[in-house]
Amino acid sequence: MDASRRNLLKAAAVLLVEQWATSRRRAFAGKLDTAGNDERKIIVVSCAGIRRAETFHKTGLSNIPHLYRELLPRSVFYPFIRNAGATSHYNAISSILTGNWERLDDWGASSPLSPTLFEYLRKNMSLSQDNAWLISSNKALSSRIGASSMRDFGPRYGANVIFPKQLLINAVIRAASQGHPEHSADRAAMQLELEAILKHADNYDGLGWSVFGDEPVLDLPMQSSMQKAIEDLVRTNAPVTGDEFTFLVSSEVMRRFAPTLLVMTFSDVEVAHFGSYSMHLAGIRTMDRLVYELWNLVESLPAYRGRTTLFVLPEFGRDFDGSSTNGFFNHRAIDDSTALTWMMCIGEAAKSPDVIERQVQHIDICPTIAGLFGIRELDLPGKPLPGL
Amino acid sequence: MNKVNAHAKPPAQDAYPRLIERLPVTLRPALNQQLSQWAMLFPFEQNRVVTFMDGVEALSPAAFQALTGPLFALEAKMDVRHWNFSEQADTIENASLLARSAYYADWRRETEKVFEGINAAARVSAPAQTGSTRLILLFLPASLPVDHETVWQQWDPRGQEIKISGDAGGICELALKGKPGLSGIATLLAGHGAAESSDLWLIDAAEKMNAALSSLPSPPAASSLSHTALKPFRDRFLAELNKAPKSIQITDEVVANLRRESWDGWNLWPAELVGQPRMRQFVIDLFLSGNGALIFSNSFVEWAACEALRRARPRVMVARFGMRSKPKPFTSIAVFENQQRISSLPDVDDPENSAVDALILARYVWLSASRYPEQDRTICLCVSEFSNTAYLIAPADKSPGWSTERSLTPEDVYKWLAAQIAA
Repeated sequence: MDASRRNLLKAAAVLLVEQWATSRRRAFAGKLDTAGNDERKIIVVSCAGIRRAETFHKTGLSNIPHLYRELLPRSVFYPFIRNAGATSHYNAISSILTGNWERLDDWGASSPLSPTLFEYLRKNMSLSQDNAWLISSNKALSSRIGASSMRDFGPRYGANVIFPKQLLINAVIRAASQGHPEHSADRAAMQLELEAILKHADNYDGLGWSVFGDEPVLDLPMQSSMQKAIEDLVRTNAPVTGDEFTFLVSSEVMRRFAPTLLVMTFSDVEVAHFGSYSMHLAGIRTMDRLVYELWNLVESLPAYRGRTTLFVLPEFGRDFDGSSTNGFFNHRAIDDSTALTWMMCIGEAAKSPDVIERQVQHIDICPTIAGLFGIRELDLPGKPLPGL
Repeated sequence: MNKVNAHAKPPAQDAYPRLIERLPVTLRPALNQQLSQWAMLFPFEQNRVVTFMDGVEALSPAAFQALTGPLFALEAKMDVRHWNFSEQADTIENASLLARSAYYADWRRETEKVFEGINAAARVSAPAQTGSTRLILLFLPASLPVDHETVWQQWDPRGQEIKISGDAGGICELALKGKPGLSGIATLLAGHGAAESSDLWLIDAAEKMNAALSSLPSPPAASSLSHTALKPFRDRFLAELNKAPKSIQITDEVVANLRRESWDGWNLWPAELVGQPRMRQFVIDLFLSGNGALIFSNSFVEWAACEALRRARPRVMVARFGMRSKPKPFTSIAVFENQQRISSLPDVDDPENSAVDALILARYVWLSASRYPEQDRTICLCVSEFSNTAYLIAPADKSPGWSTERSLTPEDVYKWLAAQIAA
């Protein structure tokens, strides 16, 4: 990506998080703590629907040069991880987070039916909300994914949930509906404009943002002015991806809050639903680069270096070529192409690089991460992952 | 068996609802939907419904119970009775409820068993027009730069690469227009008893094929669709579809309303669809079924071809892929929007990536065709006009026996294809 455009996005990400943090301090004055900031860190990156054929298979290695050449030799790698639940985004991520096969409304109309990792960690370790974040590119999710509907857990132990890409999408759509001119970008003025915009913010819900808490954190002026700022970003001359912005916002959250548990979900690859294979492959390459940059960031930040474990996995694969469900477009066939993918673990808990050939499952991730924090008495169907 | 021929009403319309009521709940929506849109079905689809109903009727009560009992039991375990499950039409919510059920894989298995059993009872395993050779002609235009070395690497190993001498674009021209002494495909089909327009499909990313057909002295019986020609309709339809909020139930309502909408009043249909309600309904159903048909021209070509193969089982399918534009800055994150509406930047062609898309999607058309029983008498030819090569997949008994070293003229290739159709 063009450096000036990336800087612009980066500035937007910094400002967004800054605004959020400022508002949080206002709303929860005196309530914040930093418990957990010096402890073990976990980052989970789920990267939507990607087949083995386009990644860790001889036909796909060229799409993942960073994962394959740079990170694989340092990782505990699981070449076979199964999603035995519903292969929709909301259910797949909910199942990873809860350690149960969740079977919910695909578009996030209801909360997970069992506690999420966020809740287990925050409740057991008395962590503040700033220690649990889910930052997602995926518009199939909703803020309900941040906490379960369980009475003894629920939103008071949930995560901050943010959808940066949705913010951009809404701004683009609004820019069009307002008929604004989009020529002659004035990039120099952009950052000032963003700063001015972000001074007046409250409610992110309508923009796809959602932050737990009883009161809205950002106000209506924030909503409209943020949209205006991104209308201007539309004027630049090359593609900008939602995953790039998700990464930049996540990076800023890491720098500012160093959360104990950060879950990021990428979704550029989901352009496959519209049938562009080349754009799907471009999404895989973006994911590959961003995961590598994320790991470099982990190693450069004192709060993360030496104490962080990164889990990277697709939520599921995609349907096989020749399936009645139109192949790579979709992810609903009952077949290993859709259900069986890979997972990479790198960092503190993955001390001895290894390849674990034994098949594992998505629901094994929750008890494994809980176990890394000493939470072992959970009644979950999954088993701790071998090799960690 | 009650054979039908594109009738406005099913032959036993009073009996069918009663027969459908006997079936497990999860089988009813698709059948009810087909009955309610009977006049919009292609002859193959109508025959398939009639065959299925004949089969339901033919089963003895004991045999019917033995066949459907496991699916009824499964539906009870799935608690389908308490779902918000439409029996009148396939809906997004129906699909979502089924797919997230813990018994989804079992349900798929049992459903297939029931369909197979009922069709077997009707003693009909083959559709109409058995025996005739079928042809799938796929064109990757010269504007799509493919890699000469790898272009056919992923294709069915039963096929062979053919080198074309001269301009490979001549094959498409000949197929559409013919030349003195050599009939085009439409004329050939008409001369061999295929008068039904769903026997020949021409699906185009641009408008080349429509233009070629319209230059003929008399318009052939064909189902012709062009992504470019559909643009006014697509834009309007996309705008309406994008109003759907993020709710499965409400989206189902929006979809149902779009299906019921009287689109004819908008004057957005291209000329070739005037007076063709069945084709217009096909387009609406196509766009509502997603798969990028509203967004990218190559997705439209692929998905329309696959749906036409599934629903109409044509004698000849001609599909021509094309160019898409490069994603635009920022607006590419909202790819489901009309890019020309949300960005005033001019469209810029993306030949390399369009070629990547078109190549896999052309292969998907063949893979789709190869799922059906007719595949054992189907010839598929995919032509890359850029590389002046083609890939031919033919049943063993129809192999032309061409040497891979020999170059063939477009006329050589087309003559052979025409002879197969005429045989």
